[in-house]
Amino acid sequence: MKSALHNMNPSVKFLIITICMFTLAFFFNPWTPLIVWIGVLLVQLLFSRINWKVWTLFMIPFVIMAFGYFWTTLVFAEEKTGPVVWTILNMEIREVLLNHALALSFRVLAFSGLSLLFALTTKPVSFILSLMQQMKLSPKIAYSILVGYQFLPVLKDEFVQIQQAHRLRGATQKGNIITRLLNMRKILLPMLAGAVRKSERAAFAMEARGFTGEKRTSFYHIIGIGKLDVYMAALFLMLLIVSCASSSFI
Amino acid sequence: MSDVIQFIDVSFRFPDEEKVILDHLSFSVKAGEKVVITGPSGSGKTTLLYLCNRLYPENCDGVMNGSLKLFDKESSKYAPGEVNHKIATVFQDPDAQFCMMTVEEELAFTLENLNIPREEMDGKIAAVLELTGLTDFRNAVIQQLSGGEKQRIATACALIMEPEVLLLDEPISHLDPYTGKKFISWLDELQQERALTVVAIEHRLDLWDGFFDREIVLESTNRVNELMTRESSIQGSQSLYVEAVHNDSFLKPVSFHLQKGEVAVLAGPNGSGKSTLLKALCQLIPAKGTVTPDRLGYVPQSPEFLFITKSVRDEIAFGGGTEVETLLERLYLQNVAEAHPFAVSHGQKRRVAIGAMLADGREIILMDEPTSGQDAASLSELYELIDERARQGTTFLIVTHDMEFASAIADSVLLMDEGQLTGKFNAESVWASEDLLTAHHLLKPKGGTPREVCFA
Repeated sequence: MKSALHNMNPSVKFLIITICMFTLAFFFNPWTPLIVWIGVLLVQLLFSRINWKVWTLFMIPFVIMAFGYFWTTLVFAEEKTGPVVWTILNMEIREVLLNHALALSFRVLAFSGLSLLFALTTKPVSFILSLMQQMKLSPKIAYSILVGYQFLPVLKDEFVQIQQAHRLRGATQKGNIITRLLNMRKILLPMLAGAVRKSERAAFAMEARGFTGEKRTSFYHIIGIGKLDVYMAALFLMLLIVSCASSSFI
Repeated sequence: MSDVIQFIDVSFRFPDEEKVILDHLSFSVKAGEKVVITGPSGSGKTTLLYLCNRLYPENCDGVMNGSLKLFDKESSKYAPGEVNHKIATVFQDPDAQFCMMTVEEELAFTLENLNIPREEMDGKIAAVLELTGLTDFRNAVIQQLSGGEKQRIATACALIMEPEVLLLDEPISHLDPYTGKKFISWLDELQQERALTVVAIEHRLDLWDGFFDREIVLESTNRVNELMTRESSIQGSQSLYVEAVHNDSFLKPVSFHLQKGEVAVLAGPNGSGKSTLLKALCQLIPAKGTVTPDRLGYVPQSPEFLFITKSVRDEIAFGGGTEVETLLERLYLQNVAEAHPFAVSHGQKRRVAIGAMLADGREIILMDEPTSGQDAASLSELYELIDERARQGTTFLIVTHDMEFASAIADSVLLMDEGQLTGKFNAESVWASEDLLTAHHLLKPKGGTPREVCFA
């Protein structure tokens, strides 16, 4: 049960999350996104083994952004009519405005919550494999991404080695962030040169293994769709319906 | 016996170049033969191999004349990837020939490409792993394996296609001699079991010991002389003191001394901590212990990692040294002084790197694997560079797997195993001691021309 979200078919998960986001865009009230956000949290609590520390770290910038939306909507509003619900620092907050502000910030939270749910419970490799098997993504693109993914650790090693070599030559990174960023290109240039060579070799290696880029008839790792996907999709749709319906009741 | 590969009067050049790489070449390889292609770099060895598995001319828009038949059919009549399951290839670089994370996935990728039904995949994977003795590696993550293991897995991936021809592109150039030797005897058994046709590129045949039936020499002009054992250039005074250098994780305390003008080789099995020691000595990674002097020069395997400016002259002048012109002249770099350091040849890049270190007042040069993937001509260039600099008083510490090169150049040999320095030895005594060599996965060099003959 704790692994239901992780075991879900990635394409189905992707589709359902996209539907949720698309639907949310049509509802502009505080309750719909709030219910979705809380629902997403509950689903993750019940059906996933995600690392909540990582989740919190990723969530921090979105919370700041949400608060930013909330505050700027209140402070820079033109609206001067309607009942006053709250007075703070000589500022009169009107009901319509408060609703707008909350709707905006909860929307940020709901969108980021949905995205994080997908990102933290999906393995990149199975996502690509599933896109190829269920969504008819061309093997040419799918395998290019997979091969690129294998190169990440190699590139990281190279980055460290070049940094070390530059430090030896006394070309240490001094100054503010901007000069440091500009100096990065000196590290990136040799990496780029190396990457071009590597990618050519990788392409040759793929062709030498008989890779033609054509649709394949069989897969070793089958990423299937099962009952679990139906249940989880139903759960998400229910959450979506409840949250959308709430806008007309509350 | 039928011809599996047949070149009839084949010429080849790259689209942007006037120079013809292969010039009216004719030869054929019969089924079951073991053929090696040799020649200096730039003679078209790799091009020839890529023509045999049909990666060229299509993928580089090269211009090919003449007739190239694979299994009695014109190579241009095959679709891309079609012939590759009959002619399988193992490439040179163990790091750049895998597409997937684990061994099992990599093998499955190959089978998927051939549209093998899923039910048969498991059996085929198990069978090829059994055949190649790699069953334990089935779920291993490829990037975490050693170079030797990766090369064996690349071979397994080639064999799972049940090919008739196996092409090898310098398969042992990244392996230590002992691992390389093991790879060769393993390949020999496989070849006999499967009656494979083997075509390999190799510029150093000393480890292969009569494996091949026939040698095809490309562009046999000016064969480089064998490296001669150099005369020692030790100049008496001590130049490098290393006392108890170690780090918290892997490196055990290491102490040794080197003299001015001494050329020392640091050798040991893959993963014994040689590169780690070099980095610890020049303080690239945190380490405890003392190194005098504290400024050492370091040339990584890819010298371009060091470059930060836009011309060779600026590169050497970067540290603020005053002898830039003298150094340019002494390292034969005047002609390319204004060129971008990335645009010069590999040998020149290495000269630039050494020049930059010397201009910085770093009189002791540590080199990480300068010999790997180099052909005879560039090895002899490297040899001369080191010899010349050592005579001027530079001290060298060189990590290499190439024992022929080591025996030609080294005054002394430092041996390492599992993060520990076994000791510093006189070069001659290491080559004489079977025990030391075996314990460090090294092979006795055949030896260059002895010193006496050099002076004759």
